[in-house]
Amino acid sequence: MFALDIAAHTGPWRTRHPAEKALLALGLLVCAVALPTWPSALLSGGAAAVLLAAARVPPVVVLRAARVPLLFVATSTVPLLVSMPAPARLAIDPAGLPVAVQTAGRSVAALTCLLLFTATTPLSDVLPRLHRLGIPPAVTEVAALTYRMLFLLVQSVRAVRQAQAGRLGFRTWRTTYRSLAGQAGAVFVRALHRARRLEEGLAVRGYTGSLAVQVAAHRVSVPFVAATTALLGAIVIASTGVVSPW
Amino acid sequence: MHIAEGYLPPEQAAAWFVVSAPFVVHGSRALVRQVRADPDSKLLLGAAGAFTFALSALKIPSVTGSSSHPTGTGLGAVLFRPPVMSVLGGIVLLFQALLLAHGGLSTLGANVFSMAIVGPWVAYGSYTMVRRVGGGLDPAVFAAATLGSLATYSVTVAQLALAFPDPMSGIVGALAKFGGIFAVTQIPLAISEGLLTVLVVRLLGRTSGDDLRRLGLLRPAAEVRA
Repeated sequence: MFALDIAAHTGPWRTRHPAEKALLALGLLVCAVALPTWPSALLSGGAAAVLLAAARVPPVVVLRAARVPLLFVATSTVPLLVSMPAPARLAIDPAGLPVAVQTAGRSVAALTCLLLFTATTPLSDVLPRLHRLGIPPAVTEVAALTYRMLFLLVQSVRAVRQAQAGRLGFRTWRTTYRSLAGQAGAVFVRALHRARRLEEGLAVRGYTGSLAVQVAAHRVSVPFVAATTALLGAIVIASTGVVSPW
Repeated sequence: MHIAEGYLPPEQAAAWFVVSAPFVVHGSRALVRQVRADPDSKLLLGAAGAFTFALSALKIPSVTGSSSHPTGTGLGAVLFRPPVMSVLGGIVLLFQALLLAHGGLSTLGANVFSMAIVGPWVAYGSYTMVRRVGGGLDPAVFAAATLGSLATYSVTVAQLALAFPDPMSGIVGALAKFGGIFAVTQIPLAISEGLLTVLVVRLLGRTSGDDLRRLGLLRPAAEVRA
């Protein structure tokens, strides 16, 4: 299992309707990306960070998940700080600092909003509802099958890697590449084997092409939706400077 | 190389969704037709998606001392063809965003375009071209995986350069800046992915020859004898 998925399955917001959480987290994400970065990034990102704490998502899970995207943000912000006045000549550009800070701020805020959604909403709750957005059922079912199988395959990769490490499979570059090919090969064989077993199992149960699964029913909380709408409205007003005449 | 959540300005993020949409819709229609004709193929496609995701769990050593994971676009395109890869790649990128926070929802259109559309098409085109001029399976697979990975990297660099042109030298300068900073890791990684994919296909040829024949990667035994 992945740490974010574990947090989503075990957190106190597990029983909330996914649409509520999508409205809140993705609404904040849209505010962070689409509204003027200052102050919307601070407001949206700050609200998402507070809500992550309210949803009791362990900070270590959030920080670990944020490592790779933050590395990308840090690396790709460097070129914004320099300009190229002539080919193969770089110069520090003071005007690049506000752009770099704005871009990094927007990205960090949006990432916090994304983490609020992923750390509180299991994918298994989202996938069966995607066809309501107009996505063809065949595509959502392939996505659901992918989701069902990927944990086993990633687990297989880890198990094979551990076994290879125990046999000194990563001692040299040559053995490392041979071991990596072994991992990919094992996963390919296992994926097809799994698909065949699933096919046989479904065939004996009279499979006709429809993979209907039971979806846990969650009621939409009106107070939660009202509070979310108020929060998003407040961020929009504060960010655009629109003041109500009343 | 996934563009992180919120990194692109909103207009550009939206524009990449518009650019990617026709390819994903075309791929979805192909997938729906395939599933309608053969309902069991849904299970194979699910397995293919999970396999592509699992490839991102492999850790390729990098010359910089760190490690990175393969894009898997070359192998995926050669095994499952680019139209299907546009949908499977889209699903995998969505899962990577939602399960690992790699990439993002606002940048999904841009990442789909580089990793699920351009990468697989370049990979498949390179594979077909090498095979047509009489190249063997190994060089064709190496070209597919390496050029697919390089194409993905180049498109990502172009997306960043379009979003943040250099104040003095414009988009050309920005291409050089972003290209230079990521080339250190991405070019060796593309070559590594090419070598690794050749080893994977060789291994699968020995252990899963029938599966590769069914997917059209190896010729049927009778044809080989003829």
